[in-house]
Amino acid sequence: MALRKAAPGAPATAVLRRVEPREYARQFDGLCAQLGDADAGVRRWAARDLAEHPGAARMLAARLAAEADTSVRAVILSSLARIGGPAAVDALLPLLRSEDAMLRNGAIEALAGLPDAVAPRIEALLADPDGDVRIFSVNLLGLLPHPRVPQWLAQVLERETEANVVGAALDVLAEVGGPELAGPLRRTLARFAGEPYIRFAAELALQRIESP
Amino acid sequence: MTNSLAAPVISDADFQKFAEFFYRKTGIHFDDGKRYFVDKRLLERIAATGAESFRAWFTALRFETQGGELQRLVNAMTVNETYFFREAYQFDCMVRHLLDEIAARKRPGGRIRIWSVPSSTGEEPYSIAIYLLERWARIDDYEVEILSSDIDTDVLAAAQRGVYSARSVAQLPPAYLERYFTPAGDGEWRIARELVDAVEFSQVNLTHAADTRRFRDIDLIFCRNLLIYFDDLSRRVAAEAMYDALNPGGFVCLGHSESMSRICSLYTPRRFPDAMVYQRPLEG
Repeated sequence: MALRKAAPGAPATAVLRRVEPREYARQFDGLCAQLGDADAGVRRWAARDLAEHPGAARMLAARLAAEADTSVRAVILSSLARIGGPAAVDALLPLLRSEDAMLRNGAIEALAGLPDAVAPRIEALLADPDGDVRIFSVNLLGLLPHPRVPQWLAQVLERETEANVVGAALDVLAEVGGPELAGPLRRTLARFAGEPYIRFAAELALQRIESP
Repeated sequence: MTNSLAAPVISDADFQKFAEFFYRKTGIHFDDGKRYFVDKRLLERIAATGAESFRAWFTALRFETQGGELQRLVNAMTVNETYFFREAYQFDCMVRHLLDEIAARKRPGGRIRIWSVPSSTGEEPYSIAIYLLERWARIDDYEVEILSSDIDTDVLAAAQRGVYSARSVAQLPPAYLERYFTPAGDGEWRIARELVDAVEFSQVNLTHAADTRRFRDIDLIFCRNLLIYFDDLSRRVAAEAMYDALNPGGFVCLGHSESMSRICSLYTPRRFPDAMVYQRPLEG
């Protein structure tokens, strides 16, 4: 509308203006080409519309690796999460190894929204040779709405050798753990008796899960 | 310890655990001062779901994949009521700061576009219109458009009907009520047809690109108390859609308990004397 102040005592006047439709070529090939456009706005819209194309996961992931604009990256991550399924998980998991914290955290958030697709990959992630990847995987468990999360955390407590990974698991466990984790927690206390932080975090988690 | 023979209770640790989770999911912080309010609603949800203890209920909530119980919990913990001049401090911010900053980037007589979403039954877009007419001295120097959208066609129809209860208009100064409304019988008030015509209503789902693509060159978005009801992904998708709808330098006003910083990092938080708002950077 065009809102106008009227003469004193008279009501406002207005003129309606139609919202004009925006025309784009929205075909798959055209959208893929637009992912490389010089204009970040065009790339964002291409990434957003590619969420409607399940076959776009690999293309989006490839673009993500090269994309410097944070707003385009954000939309690509959301589109991957919307595509979902194993293809999106395949595209997102390698980002856990990224040196770019923003990209890594974005991948964790997107993966957390795909609990059914990511669940079959958790065991392998928790056994990854790279300790940082295991920490990020535990961070993912903290956001993942999946009933096996306590079981995976118990597995970390029982098997993990790096204190930093165990510490990350304890942080998550304080919120999601139940009485079934009391045993693993006590064994963790014994295993890491010389680590003050682990002792503190494990005692806090025990306190939480055993509180009346 | 709660057990199946006794009525569930919320322990201090339960409350702490819940408060941390709820803050992370919604940005709403409950401290000990809200114990009575929170405990009462938690116990209601525990009873409604048939859970035998807080722990059983919280475990189900924490690991549900569809978000149904979280949605019901948010509904229980928030006040979903709309009325004219609700959270008016943001309208004050609009006329004291935001519009002048927006206008500084426009040519004289240029177009300023404001988008109110969700429109609900119209109280917000009409409040914006009234605020502009009454409290922004430069209203006649620019061409101001107000767009308003909702996913629900019933509330859009009600917005265009423009009839409101006495409770809905209770916060309006009497002079404004007299100027922009006429009695509609049974204690209700009908808003001036000119104001109804001054707002362009449309049905929009903020998470559907096909819907949001139509919106562009917006300078100011009011999106209050809506994203809190979305799941994490939908919230991000909506925030990203608003980013593309905005002109560079455009602003988003969220509800008092909502924080864009918790949704995505695309916007720059701006603190004004009246309110915190979020700005699309000028570059980008």
